[in-house]
Formats: sequence, C-alpha cells, structure tokens
Amino acid sequence: MHLLNVYFFLFSISVVQSFSNKNHTNNWAVLVDTSRFWFNYRHVANVLSIYRSVKRLGIPDSQIILMIADDMACNPRNPRPGTVFNNADQHINVYGDDVEVDYRGYEVTVENFVRLLTGRLPPGTPRSKQLLSDEGSNVLIYLTGHGGDGFLKFQDSEEITSQEMADALEQMWQKQRYNEIFFMIDTCQAASMYERFYSPNILAVGSSLVGEDSLSHHVDSSIGVYIIDRYTYYALEFLEKVNPQSDKSMGEFLKVCPKSVCISTVGVRKDLFNRNPDNVPITDFFGSIRPVEVLCDLSNVTLLQSKQLSQEEAFKPKKYRYIDPIVNFNTIKS
Amino acid sequence: MKCLIVSLGILFICHLVHSYEGTITEELLIKPLYSEQVYTHFQFSTKWDIDPDKETFRHSPLFPRPLGEIVQRFDIQELHVTLTSGLWRYEKWGYPVKDAATGVEVLAWFKPGSDVDKNWKLLANSLSGLLCASLNFIDNTNTIKPEFSFRPRGILESNLLNNSYVRYANLPHEIVCTENLTPWKKLLPCDSRTGLASLLNSGHIHNTRYHSIGLHLRPVCRDKSCESMSLELQQTVSLVYDYLILGTKNWSLRKLFGQGINRKCVLVSKSDVYVDTTNQDIELEPPPDETVTSVRGGQVTTLQKYIVSNQFLNIYAKFQNADLVSLNLPPPLHANQYLSGYGQERGGIVTKIYNNHWKQIDVVLMQNIPWFIPIYLHTLKVTADGRDIKPIQLRYIPARQRERPTYLEVLLTVPARTATSVVIDFDYVFLKWQEYPPDANFGFHIGSAVISSYLPVARNYTAVPWDGSLISDSFNASRSGYLVEVRTENLIITLPTPDFSMPYNVICLACTVVALAFGPLHNITTRKLILKSKRKVLLIERIKKFLFSLKKTKTE
Repeated sequence: MHLLNVYFFLFSISVVQSFSNKNHTNNWAVLVDTSRFWFNYRHVANVLSIYRSVKRLGIPDSQIILMIADDMACNPRNPRPGTVFNNADQHINVYGDDVEVDYRGYEVTVENFVRLLTGRLPPGTPRSKQLLSDEGSNVLIYLTGHGGDGFLKFQDSEEITSQEMADALEQMWQKQRYNEIFFMIDTCQAASMYERFYSPNILAVGSSLVGEDSLSHHVDSSIGVYIIDRYTYYALEFLEKVNPQSDKSMGEFLKVCPKSVCISTVGVRKDLFNRNPDNVPITDFFGSIRPVEVLCDLSNVTLLQSKQLSQEEAFKPKKYRYIDPIVNFNTIKS
Repeated sequence: MKCLIVSLGILFICHLVHSYEGTITEELLIKPLYSEQVYTHFQFSTKWDIDPDKETFRHSPLFPRPLGEIVQRFDIQELHVTLTSGLWRYEKWGYPVKDAATGVEVLAWFKPGSDVDKNWKLLANSLSGLLCASLNFIDNTNTIKPEFSFRPRGILESNLLNNSYVRYANLPHEIVCTENLTPWKKLLPCDSRTGLASLLNSGHIHNTRYHSIGLHLRPVCRDKSCESMSLELQQTVSLVYDYLILGTKNWSLRKLFGQGINRKCVLVSKSDVYVDTTNQDIELEPPPDETVTSVRGGQVTTLQKYIVSNQFLNIYAKFQNADLVSLNLPPPLHANQYLSGYGQERGGIVTKIYNNHWKQIDVVLMQNIPWFIPIYLHTLKVTADGRDIKPIQLRYIPARQRERPTYLEVLLTVPARTATSVVIDFDYVFLKWQEYPPDANFGFHIGSAVISSYLPVARNYTAVPWDGSLISDSFNASRSGYLVEVRTENLIITLPTPDFSMPYNVICLACTVVALAFGPLHNITTRKLILKSKRKVLLIERIKKFLFSLKKTKTE
C-alpha cells in the first residue's frame, strides 16, 4: 500500500515536473523607457535596441508592447529626423522604418504599466495596448530609465518601487499570465528592482548592483548628449549576432557585459528560475520560435451563401444628396 | 514551381479585384510653391460599392478591415483623422488639398440613433491603437459638437442636420513620427512595396517643413443618380519640402523621397502623378504623358500628367531660370492666432482673419478652448479697421472644470481688404498638483481655431470638390464656391506652475522645526521645576561664620 502511495507521489511529481518543463507556446515583450526629455536620449536608444532585436528575431509587433516616454526620433533637436542611432558612427538605426509605439508620451505612467502587466485595463483598450499573454507565454520585460535603491522613476514625476514591481509579477503569476519571465533592467542600482521578487520562473538581470551607478557608453557630438547606455550597447552587440536559428543560450547572454567594459557589475538572479540558463536558448525570450505541425488531411469548407438576394429584393432606391458645404448665411441673417 | 505559385497568386488577386465592386486609385500631386518650397500630396482613394448600413465588414478584400470594423462597431457615418507636424503657411503657400491643424484632429459623424458619447470614447481608443497615437486622451474634457463648422462631406438622405451626432476633438501637443506612418501604411492595399506608397520612406518624410497624415472616410454617391451609397476612404499624406533642406531647387522624385517609383501596385486601377507647372519655368524629364489645363473659378492651372506603369519612373524637374522668383498673391482668406496680455493673471486670445478679397466674406470661426483656460464671453470683441463688427450668430458653451471645454462659434461677415481681429480674454488658473504633466514647464497647448468659409474665387485653391473623390476631379471643377477650413497656429501658455519639489522641502523643513521644538518642550513638560530661594550673604556674616567654625574646631 505504502509502495503504491510512493509510486503515485513520484508519478505526480513527474507530471508536475513535465508540466513545469513544458515549452512555452508564445512570446511577448514589454519594453519600457521611463525617461522624458532630450538629455535622456540614451534611454530611448536602449529600449529601441531591444525592440529591434526582438522584432528581428521574430516576435511580431502585435506581441510587443513598446512604451516610450518621449519622442526622440522626430524631436526638433534631432539633426537626423526620423532616426535613433545606437552609436555615433550611425551603425544601426534602431528606430527603423517600421516601428509601432504602443504607449507614448504622457501615457507612460506607473499606473498604465502595472495595469498592462496585470491585465486590469479599462474597457475599450485596443489590442495593441494589451498584454494578452497566457500560461504558455514567455514574457520579456525590459525597463530602462533613472533608478535608485528600490525604485525606478517614471517621467521624472513618479516612481515604481521594487515591492510594487514584485507584487505586479506575482499577480501575473496568479492570473496565469506567464510561463516564464526574463526581467531585464538597465538603470542605476538596477539589482534593487528584482531583489523583492517572490514569484516563480523569473530570471532577472540588472545592469548594476545596489550602490552602483549604471554608466552610459559614449557621446554623439552632433546630438550633444550620451547616445546609449553601456549594458544595452553590449547586449545589442551580442543580439545582433544572434539569428532565429542560432543556438546561443541565455547563460551566454547573462555574461554579455563583463565589469571591464560595463564598469558596473551586472547582477543576475537565478534562484526563482527552474532551468539552468546555460541550457535555455536565447530565442526562448528574444525570439518567437514555434513548433509548426503541418496537417495533411484537408477539410472541405463550403462557402456560406449570403442572403444577398433577399437583401436586393428589399432594396428600395433612396435619394441621397450632398448637403451644402457651409451653413447658409442668408437664412441666418434674415 | 515558385513561379507557378506566384502567377496563381496574381491570378487569384486579379480575380478578387474583378469580383470586388470597388476601385482603388492612387494619385500624387507635386506643386512647386511660390516660396522656397515644393508641396507633394499623396492620395489613395478606395471606393467600395456597398451600403455601409448593411455591410458586415467581414469580407473586405481591398478596404482595410481594421477600419471597417471600427466603422461598423461604432456606427460611424463619417470619420476624419489627421496627424500633422508643422504648420501650413496659408499666406505663402495657398490652400492645401486637405486642411489640417498641427497635432491630431479627429472629427466623426455618427449615425442617428447611436450612443454617441460611448462610441466616441471607444472610437478614440480604437484609433489610438490603430494609429499608434495617444488618441485615448480624447474624452469629454476636450470634445465639442460644432453646429456650423464641419458639416458632413458625404451624402445624406435627409437635409436635416443634428449636431448631437458630431464630435470634434484636437490634441495639439501630439507628435507625429514614423510610428504613426507605419500603421497608416499597413492600411494600404499594396502596403508600401509597390506603387506610389513606395515613395513614403520615413527618412525622407520627417525632414520636411510640414507633414500631415490623414484618414478620411465618408459615404458617397455610387453613380450619377445617387440612389445608392458607396463607401469612400481617402488616405492622404501631405509633405512640404524646403529647397534649403533639399540643397537645390531642382527636385526629383529620388531627391524628395529617396527613390523613384518602381512598379505599379497591381490592385490599383489608376495611378497618376501630376506636376503643377503653372507660371513655373520648369523643364521636366522624362516628358509627361499628357498636359492638362484646368480652369477653375477663373484660375488657370497647367498640370503635367504621368501615368505610372510597370516601368521605373523618376521625374526630374529643372528650373530654367533659378534666380527668377514669381510673385505670389496671398490667398483670399487666411488667419493667425496669438496670445495677448502680460503677467500671470490675465491674458487674451487674438484671432486675426485677413480678407484679401475685394468683397466681404462670410466666415465661421470655431474655437475649442481647454477647460483650464476660463474665458469671459463679455470680453469678446470683433473689430476691423477700428470699427466694431457685430457677429451674425454666436454659439457658446462655457467650460466646466474637468468636464468639458469652452466651445465658441462665431459667424461673421469679414469686410473686404481688412484684417478682422476677434479678441477674447481669459484667466490663468492653478491646476491641482496631480494634474500637471511631467513637463509642466513646457506650457499648455490651446488648439488651433478653425475658420470655415465658402470662397467665391479659387485662387491658390487645390482641394477636391465636395462631389468628387480624386485629384483629377478638381480639374475644371468650377462651383458656386470653394470651401476652406483655415487652421491657425496652436498656442502655448505657461500656467502658474508650482515648485514640484515643494512638498519634499516642506516635509524636510517641518521635520526640522518639529525636532528642534520637541527637545525643549519635552524637557519642560517632563522635568519637575522647583524654585530655590537664594539669600544674599553679607561679607561680615561670612567672616563671622568662618571665625565661628574656627573656634569650633579649636574647642574640639
């Protein structure tokens, strides 16, 4: 009897294991730039770098939620309108010719961000502004902006604390809105933002430890400000070499910016994550690779005949007309 | 094999086109302006022969389905959305094909009987998703229902208009960039790969003086008898290139847009480029397919027509005498708007309407003023040449704080050859602390005023007539009048802005004061204070005491 119990116990464990190890079915990305004003150009370049990479690796625009707090590409101060570059040599136009920003300007608020993650959006919110993820979704969350110990500033006027962030993710987990999360943050004291996470299946990486500043990479003299942050610059450099078929792992991505180049220490938190990052393909979070099964047995679908005839029978000619383009002043005057 | 699939696909598409009752036309108008600019206007018209009331919009092979769903769900009769960056300079450039104010403008006519307020909010939300703009900021606080301006442009069954079914809002602070153009391009039948749409490359659009993206949807007559409806969607892009930015006056398609036209879009039934060469000494290369002379309201226009085929087309224009500058007569009607007053207490909004025509002109001035700028109707003053002018009609709904904007519509007769100014005063107010945007010091926008008029002459006029759809319909289209909806500049006012670090400072200061006060108070209230009398001891007594004590010790 005991033996049977143990057997059942083991069986259930293995079922749970296989469930937790099951592959994800879809990919989502939430990319947030929280800084406004021209001198924060680099944060927009950061977030667009990641946007470019995930889009290139196959996540469609409908599954990328891009939040940008200010307009840099068409800013009057931008000497090259309609572009945002990742370096002064203008190697990569990270803004590109095909970009869809879902939340922009004043819409980038803590409230909207938390509502987006937890799915508590007001009725009538368009699909492009919703995170319609499910229990099979791998979600990449990327944040950049100005942070401190335990908070991240939004638009220089409000901030989200690490506790609020952790609670939002827990709510996501409880609502089965993700399978795994890769949380990536490029701010000062970035590690403080993920310290309070307590929900499972989260892999977190931050550009700096608590007490450290995260540094920017270089200045573009024609733009007049720093153009990109170090951590994201090297992350983009790495991601540019990745293609949807490549076998690079998350473990490699976590080592993308050693202290010698980043100056700050990149913080990683793996304890909530079930898998070994070295065995996780980078495309699990940055791409959208789906196993496709081709069905050979075709089913015949008969075309639905619309009731057009009866409509035409009921059709009665009406007399339509254009009205005067402007109100008749003579009738008003009299 | 691949070829076979492609050709089958093309056959299928061709089949679709034929079985589908509708046409798509794309047109490009290039008009060198009298000043140092060249104006280009793209117009993609989709006409779908369906009755919008009966159609479910499930099968829309050529008409963009996302828009069809919006039309059906929100009971829309007519919809006009424009996203504009830069200001159209009426005085120098004449009239554009489509007027648009800086920022975003949304105008919708709903079908009678629909729940307009609810649908309007949902429409704004849907459009914000469709066009990647913050249109969800449109709500009752910035929406008005104009009575005289913005009459329906499409066909109607009855002659009666009810302005409870129209909604108009503008967001003057909205920026326009590639992120708006990308989803707009996805509504086109051939996307941006072939046809005229392939000219719309973001890198060559945002270096312009003015660019405006528009979506205009209305029901039109299907035929001459006008007994049945068709749905017409016009997608427009207007660009004004500056010769200074281009570096030369001799423009070409490649110089303007980065590339020429490679191929014609297969779904399009007509694809034409028109170059306006009126009074311009331009030599065009290659030579045009046709020359069109249009006489409209006394104005003669010469246009060179190119028919886009599957051959590569790059039009190159060379000015014969680059130093020759032709004189430009300003258009009959244009307007400006500016702020008056000084200080942080009172101000005024001045709208100047210039009538350059020899006859008086009737105009409708419409203003949508945000609620945080309370205006005083009794200060409304209309003057021309020092004489007061009495408005013919006045419609005014005062603002209610945080609920609705000020709506003002003035019907005026503007005297000939004068500048008429309409002045109204307002107060500067304080907002609640949380209502200030993150960049409060930038200032607060007041949207443009709209001046509508039915002009008797077509000087500098390019718009398509009411009953036409295409740019080619505007040739030789003399009518009894020509509608213009002149937009003015947006205004920025700096409301008194508090020091946002003040609460923090107050907390710090208050804590310091409390800490400093607390110590002594604590001492005073917890310690027991006892008065001790202190008697003065005289010197003789001290000596006596001393001696006494000595004596005592001796005896001991």
